[in-house]
Amino acid sequence: MREIIAGIFICLGVIVFVISVFGVFRLRYILNKIHSAALGDTLGLALIVIGLIVLQTEALQILKLFFIVLFFWISAPIATHMIAKLETLTNESYEERVKDK
Amino acid sequence: MEWRMWLQKIKDWVDGYTVMIDADMYIANRKRREKWDWRSIIDFIYEKDLHKLHNTLCVMCCVAFIGVMLLVVNDLPQYGNVNNPANNEVSVRYVEEGLEETGAVNLVTGMILDYRAFDTFAEANVLFLSVMGVLFLLKTDKKNDDKQQQMVRKKDAEMEAIEQKPIRQIGAKYLTPFILLYGIYIVINGHISPGGGFAGGVIMGGGMIFYATAFGKEKMEQIFTFRSFANISVGSLLTYFVCKSYSFFTGANHVGWEVPKGVAGNILSAGLILPLNICVGLVVACTMYGFYALYTKGDI
Repeated sequence: MREIIAGIFICLGVIVFVISVFGVFRLRYILNKIHSAALGDTLGLALIVIGLIVLQTEALQILKLFFIVLFFWISAPIATHMIAKLETLTNESYEERVKDK
Repeated sequence: MEWRMWLQKIKDWVDGYTVMIDADMYIANRKRREKWDWRSIIDFIYEKDLHKLHNTLCVMCCVAFIGVMLLVVNDLPQYGNVNNPANNEVSVRYVEEGLEETGAVNLVTGMILDYRAFDTFAEANVLFLSVMGVLFLLKTDKKNDDKQQQMVRKKDAEMEAIEQKPIRQIGAKYLTPFILLYGIYIVINGHISPGGGFAGGVIMGGGMIFYATAFGKEKMEQIFTFRSFANISVGSLLTYFVCKSYSFFTGANHVGWEVPKGVAGNILSAGLILPLNICVGLVVACTMYGFYALYTKGDI
């Protein structure tokens, strides 16, 4: 039973990752690309790690996996925020680009 | 009769007879020697109408180099052949007796920091030399500074003082200690688990760069100045040198003074690998942060 639940979660996470990779290649503008890449980094990673947590029995292992998610959920948004900030600060045609779409 | 004259000349020269025999002829025929410039041979290259020649020469040089490289590839031994020079007794020896001889569970670390420690020393020196080159070019001091650069730097400092970056600062405040701790963990566990000086040093340098992007120049200078950069880099390289050079003085075989290996798997084991790992990690971290600091603000 436990394996089935873990498998469902991991499959969902992989599907989310595939969707986010499609988005990274399909979308053209950098802010849209960031949006779709963040999907995999947050939801996909969390789903896969939940699946792995279900499989684990020791408390220490569960804590370690939880810390992986915590680290990624703190650090990935900061990196994304810095990329987006650079785009808004340096792109000269930013206003037109955003208004059109 | 010509050759006889030359023979006489040579004979005189050998005997040390310095007076010229045919001095009158020499004076009658002498000319002022033209000053010859070797650059006159390749003068035609500098003419401007020779773009086609330039392109042709470029292509020909490239084709020649590609040809040489393809010839070398043709001479390479067949992939996967048993008799290749790579398949010798060295790898077998590393795999079979590496744990016993070096005391490191991670065989890669045992290889690069014990069997081939001198190679790794040169790699650490390459990192140090590269950061020295960047320092030589980009560090701003009294001699390579002018008013325009000062203006630019002043503007940058003002912009940075105004700029609000709460997200980065909160993130750096909570994440940097853990990133540094993780880097230190990887460096210290280099001989037990995957990792080692280079990987852990890169993580430590990344953490320092993250902190510097969030809190700026002044805050970073409180903990990491140019002086500490120089002390740490040079000190760890010298420590590495001293730790490893003894084995060359003792006949490259550690004869006479064996470092105790300890129990394989403990932190304090594997002889000199742990201090060497720490030295490499410190050099790599300093190099990473040095590049970042020199490229952004021209000073560490």
